[in-house]
Amino acid sequence: MQDQLSTPGTPQNPAKNGQQDGCTHADNPVLELKELTIQFSGKSVLRHITLAIESGETLAIVGESGSGKSLTALSLLHLLPRQADVSGRILLTNIDGQNNQYTDITFLDDRSMQDIRGAQIGMIFQEPMTSLNPVKTCGDQVMEAILTHHQAAASGNRNQAKNEVRQQVLQLFKDVRLPEPEQIFHKYPHQISGGQKQRVMIAMAMSCQPRLLICDEPTTALDVLVQKEIIQLIHDLQRKNNMSVLFISHDIQLVAATADQIAVLYKGDLVETGPAAQIMEHPQHPYTKALLACRPGLYAKGQRLPVVSDFLNTPKEQQPTIPVLQASEPAASKEKLPTADHPALLEIKNLNVWYPTHFNFWGRPTGYYKAVKDLNLEIQKGETLGLVGGSGCGKTTLGRAVMGLTPIHQGSIMFKGEDIHQSSLSKKDRARQLQMIFQDPYSALNPRIPIGQAIGEALQIHHNLSPKIRKERVCEWLEKVGLTAEHYHRYPHEFSGGQRQRIVIARALIVEPDFIICDESVSALDVSVQAQVLNLLNDLKAELGFTCIFISHDLSVVRYISDRIAVMQAGQIAELGDADQIYYRPSAEYTKQLLSAIP
Amino acid sequence: MLSFVLKKMGYGVLVLVGVVIVVFFLFQGFGDPARLVLGQTGDSATLANVRKELALDQPKWKQFTLYLNDVSPIGVATKADIQQKSLHGLFVGGDLKLGIKVPYLRRSYQNRRPVMDILLEALPGTMILAFSAMIFATIIGILLGVISAVKQNTWMDSSAVFTSVLGISAPSFFMGIVIAYVFGFLLHRYTGLFMTGSLYDYDVVSGKHLALKNLWLPALTLGIRPLAIIAQLTRSAMLDVLSKDYIRTAYAKGLPKKMVVWKHALPNALNPVATAITGWFAELLAGSFFVEYIFGWKGIGKTTVDALENLDFPVVMGSVLITATFFVIVNILSDLLYTVLDPRVKLH
Repeated sequence: MQDQLSTPGTPQNPAKNGQQDGCTHADNPVLELKELTIQFSGKSVLRHITLAIESGETLAIVGESGSGKSLTALSLLHLLPRQADVSGRILLTNIDGQNNQYTDITFLDDRSMQDIRGAQIGMIFQEPMTSLNPVKTCGDQVMEAILTHHQAAASGNRNQAKNEVRQQVLQLFKDVRLPEPEQIFHKYPHQISGGQKQRVMIAMAMSCQPRLLICDEPTTALDVLVQKEIIQLIHDLQRKNNMSVLFISHDIQLVAATADQIAVLYKGDLVETGPAAQIMEHPQHPYTKALLACRPGLYAKGQRLPVVSDFLNTPKEQQPTIPVLQASEPAASKEKLPTADHPALLEIKNLNVWYPTHFNFWGRPTGYYKAVKDLNLEIQKGETLGLVGGSGCGKTTLGRAVMGLTPIHQGSIMFKGEDIHQSSLSKKDRARQLQMIFQDPYSALNPRIPIGQAIGEALQIHHNLSPKIRKERVCEWLEKVGLTAEHYHRYPHEFSGGQRQRIVIARALIVEPDFIICDESVSALDVSVQAQVLNLLNDLKAELGFTCIFISHDLSVVRYISDRIAVMQAGQIAELGDADQIYYRPSAEYTKQLLSAIP
Repeated sequence: MLSFVLKKMGYGVLVLVGVVIVVFFLFQGFGDPARLVLGQTGDSATLANVRKELALDQPKWKQFTLYLNDVSPIGVATKADIQQKSLHGLFVGGDLKLGIKVPYLRRSYQNRRPVMDILLEALPGTMILAFSAMIFATIIGILLGVISAVKQNTWMDSSAVFTSVLGISAPSFFMGIVIAYVFGFLLHRYTGLFMTGSLYDYDVVSGKHLALKNLWLPALTLGIRPLAIIAQLTRSAMLDVLSKDYIRTAYAKGLPKKMVVWKHALPNALNPVATAITGWFAELLAGSFFVEYIFGWKGIGKTTVDALENLDFPVVMGSVLITATFFVIVNILSDLLYTVLDPRVKLH
């Protein structure tokens, strides 16, 4: 540790300027990273990162999970886990300083860091659901941030100061366009929606007018419509306050519109950095090209998506080209499905699913939340139906109702001509024919059961096989989904998100069901991993020929994988039709909104 | 809120009715109450009289109905009954009156005193002992738990964990004797405390007077086990909470560590701790025989065990009923406490 500790306000090594780096030409940076390396018990997860964030500009760091992009962000505020070993330099330019007066905050003490956190560098996190304290009101949490950094204001007349800060918070809530700021001020986080929570987080991060705002995947947990608004909001606030933004995302397309500079991280290395336009139009590194090429929106239905390995492991001449986004409907691939000739495999009639919300004294429900309202839908054998909509539109509830996982209020669901909720089929038999692939591969697997056993469990229940044959079948399936038989005895935590989703797919498909429901099965995955899983699903579908409902909030993914699309809004179907028709010639207003929100 | 409390109270009444049934039929088979009342002397005529007075000559279901009518706060009674049982309450009606009354727990077989009086005499001692033990256990336990969670894997953490394991494993009769011996005898010169003593002392000059210093040792002894459990629960809940995203948010805001730990983490970690605190509190209200016995403390526990020894069932039944009532009340209070601790909890 050759750097000396220094406190804010005392410039250190003014003679040393960040001119020696070729790639980042520092004109007026707010913050510079020099040769930043992070190690966990000797294993480096981030190697020699040199970057600069110019004042008033947006730097986007792009990479898949595990690339070290979040660690980079956390290291700026000393929020890394304790066992992390940081080396290199993090230089924060002093407020009143000229070009080359900065403070090295890499090893700054805790007390001085407290003054920087929130006041000079604000941060927004990925999960708005868990990032706010559940037992404190939204208003209190933002007020606290201001009061911490304005001790002087609080030391005078306490009540008056508190009142002033309250007004400030209400103004902030208005700035982040929260509806009814007065009410939200007194609400607890669980009483407001995900998008609103993220707005409260932004208000909190902005409360002390930081010079740098770090956004760590701020929209990944939100649906497309909200995502668009939040991105726009961050952009507007940045303009208004002339603030710098460090934007972290796995989706290069998402940051393309708002970022000035883009840095691409791959497995802890900085592989490419430069102005946004240059990166988007002339990517140099194969990994950047892969990130740009693997988006399903660029390809016709069923066409194989290129994945990262296609770019990294092949010589330049053989690499796939990055297609241009087509604005109009492709003429090809027009084989119509046989419709209405034979009875539908799944028939949903006047389905109502209501959740009780209010109860009377005796515990009988008196009020309901109507998640699905009078919904009719037919699905033919062999078809893939895409189900799209914003969060809370009832698409997951519909999926669960079809699976029999939630009681229905009214209506019927006929599977192969039999009512699911009254049929003679036992729950077990139904589960053999209907399977579900869940959203979050991290929580869908029991962490204490080896994956081979988890996959084999389904077989054991539905087919009475000897342990030896069962193991063979499981290994066969592991290979089918791109893993190896050696993985049989491993535990879920040893796998990456993409691998876990493959395991979940294997578990669902091993009983060879006729019908699959994919509930946001690729939403939690990085774009690059998403392409691999979509390819896998396409391959398996071609091989096994199952019927499928594919639930997602991302229309471009749904268009890529589905034959028909149903757009859901407020528990009802807003629009239903051929996938390409919905995507290229939408008629419902809601569909148009969803389409315009795709980054 | 109100409807929740009413509903819970309704359930509570059902629980108590169940307890009355179990208690009544459980204590039927032991001994002959008339003999117990009379002692070894007394001829068969007197015996028959006592039997009649205690309604022992009636069929079982009638005896039970009479008992239920006695212990219920709403019941019927004749004028003579009111006089004889010295019932307190509001009664309406002519000869047979209906009224709201203080439950009548009958009289002790041993000394013919009303059971209610005997128990009410012992109750303050138990309540004050339980309160002080729980306050001591809660404050120190939470403090130890938070410290050992924040300083995880340091000597402070391991010594706190070690102490609490020790506290859990040492039985209270053993701890009681050790504490009484060490603080009340060996260190008596410095502490000024005695090995035994009750809430009220009697001396020649001033008569009956409050002696709060007698509370120290039994409260300490009684508090050790709940303290150890509260400390461990706080520790594990805090460790869980400290790794949550909103703690990271609090740090990112620039809050000092002290504020993050006490204002953001602790309120989120209190739910399991509250369960332990209220559970233990209800249990201590039932009295703790060993501690009361060792320190000569007058309380429900000692009274009950003494009565049991003499087959004085009305006292035992009365104390079981009172204890059950405490459990029901503390349970309702603890449910309300959850809503205070966590705004996400909704009462149905």
